[in-house]
Amino acid sequence: MSKFLQLAIRNVFRNRRRSLMTLFIVAGGVAGLLLVGGFFSFMFWALRESTIHNGLGHLQVFNSAHFERDEVHALENGLSDYKSVASKIAGTPHVRGVAPRIEFYGMVSNGSKSSIFMGNAIDPVEERRMEFPSRVSAGKEFSSTSTDNNEALLGAGLARSMSVKPGDSLTVLAVTADGALNGIDIDVVGIVTTGFKEMDDRLLKVRLPAAQRLLQTDRVTNLVVGLDDTNNTEAVYQAITSGSALGPGLTVKQWLELAAYYRQVRLMFSGIFLFLGVIVFFMVVMSSANTLLMAMFERTREIGTMLAMGTPRSWLVRLFLLEAGFTGLLGAIAGVVTGSLIGVILNRAGLVLPPPPGNTSGLPLKVIHEPTLMLAASLLVILTLTLASVMPAIRGSRMKIVEALAHV
Amino acid sequence: MDALVSVESVSRLYPLDRGSVTALDQASLEIQAGEFLAITGPSGSGKSTLLNLIGCIDTPTSGRIVIAGVDVTSMTPGQASALRRERIGFVFQNFNLIPVLTASENVEYPLLLQKISEKERSQRVSEALASVGLANRARHRPDLLSGGERQRVAIARAIVHRPSLVLADEPTANLDTRTAMQLVDLMRELNRRLGVTFLFSTHDQRLLDHADRIVRLCDGRVVEDFSVQEGAHEQVSAASH
Repeated sequence: MSKFLQLAIRNVFRNRRRSLMTLFIVAGGVAGLLLVGGFFSFMFWALRESTIHNGLGHLQVFNSAHFERDEVHALENGLSDYKSVASKIAGTPHVRGVAPRIEFYGMVSNGSKSSIFMGNAIDPVEERRMEFPSRVSAGKEFSSTSTDNNEALLGAGLARSMSVKPGDSLTVLAVTADGALNGIDIDVVGIVTTGFKEMDDRLLKVRLPAAQRLLQTDRVTNLVVGLDDTNNTEAVYQAITSGSALGPGLTVKQWLELAAYYRQVRLMFSGIFLFLGVIVFFMVVMSSANTLLMAMFERTREIGTMLAMGTPRSWLVRLFLLEAGFTGLLGAIAGVVTGSLIGVILNRAGLVLPPPPGNTSGLPLKVIHEPTLMLAASLLVILTLTLASVMPAIRGSRMKIVEALAHV
Repeated sequence: MDALVSVESVSRLYPLDRGSVTALDQASLEIQAGEFLAITGPSGSGKSTLLNLIGCIDTPTSGRIVIAGVDVTSMTPGQASALRRERIGFVFQNFNLIPVLTASENVEYPLLLQKISEKERSQRVSEALASVGLANRARHRPDLLSGGERQRVAIARAIVHRPSLVLADEPTANLDTRTAMQLVDLMRELNRRLGVTFLFSTHDQRLLDHADRIVRLCDGRVVEDFSVQEGAHEQVSAASH
């Protein structure tokens, strides 16, 4: 090891109590950043996956007209030849399933009370293949073997407001593709929750044939593509949009383009994390700058001696910066170890935070151990501490030798 | 023969809030290579100031100092630093060893500044420590050494890079008489054996007896400059005293 580095390291441990204090602050800052950042990462991951598995899917295929003009009649901008498009996409690597969907609106009635619903028609077999299960709180999921096309799942809020339980029958009314009013009877087999109260208050899930019969159409709103891993989204998107594989008149959207809520949440929490990073930065600067300045004053005569012996002033600046950087490195290591240990403990504790506004289920308090975050937090404190030492280092190197040697 | 050090009418004034104080007043002096020279005088007479100026860690207000033919008063700080690094060794009253380094590492420090190879550094450090009788204390840190040992380490550090001039400011002031005498004997021996010029300040009369030559300062002026061995004054400044 270079003697210069050795000297810097020994200087760090010269005043152990003070060095420990600085290390404690730096490590605390790093651990705090890792825990908050790790929790945010978990939150983003959980929100991303729940958004995707709640029905958004990884990719969605639309008729391009869907984004160009509003529909006058139901499914006017829907997909007609969706089965051939689905079969083309299904052969793409990483694709787990391709499910047709119909989004529709109407009235649901139990005979004595009516309510507006937000309908979602699905193919249960494809949904199951994509591992997009409904969260059933009462009753059961759509049966994959049943041929009963009148099965329906009701959102928990809608079921509660209409006093419906599994086994009850309801009448659904909607405007058909021709603009006429049509109605069908459905049998509620299960009560579901999405985790979002607004959705649960309006959600009605039926099988695709039932919706097509209700709306008097053979079209679907879109195709939802489920992948084996969210990280493959871009690759699959490129595969199915390159060339003319899908044919003209179709538009493919990635989940992130469609997940406005996710983007807003991520933006907000990224801002909060940045703010925390700034706080840690100033915390480290304020605490360490004073410590480093004190260390410099304590070594005034030593600095004078080194200068008298012909030590270049740039060496002294480098020595101080190295000492600060080394302190930062030690603090970062201690912070990463502490943060990771606390993260492991939290992950094992199984704590659940209260539901966020608009959500119906609590958020697990879990921390993702992100190597990039560990590296970034470590670099932040190392650079911060090094920057904080610039001023004391320059002051030390500019001392007048005679005055420094006479320092008591 | 050209003098190793030539101090020519050097003055050093320190500015105060009102006026200034004269630490050195038109001092002139020539030091030949290999001399063992003591500068003496009462406190505040300018001994340390003269050493600081010759050591290039301070600059005179007026006058000129020439070391080995080079006018050091016109040097840039970087050049002065290089000169100190290569040609001057320092011994301080308070030893001024670097506390986190061992005795051998302290001695090695001036060699690190000169980017000398590790093998040669190791050899020179061993020689320097042996020459001050501390070969067996090489791995000890300063806080584990006695005052006399610390000052001997400081002397080893001052000679390890083979300077032509060693400046020692009150090197025995913090030592008891016996240790002080041993230290002066050591410096004297190194002066004779290595041919290094020693210039030290002291106001201890017993130490002055070991010097070849004594320069006496008073109120910043050279009032006496004589060779002890010859027992007679060679030159007396035109001081008013």
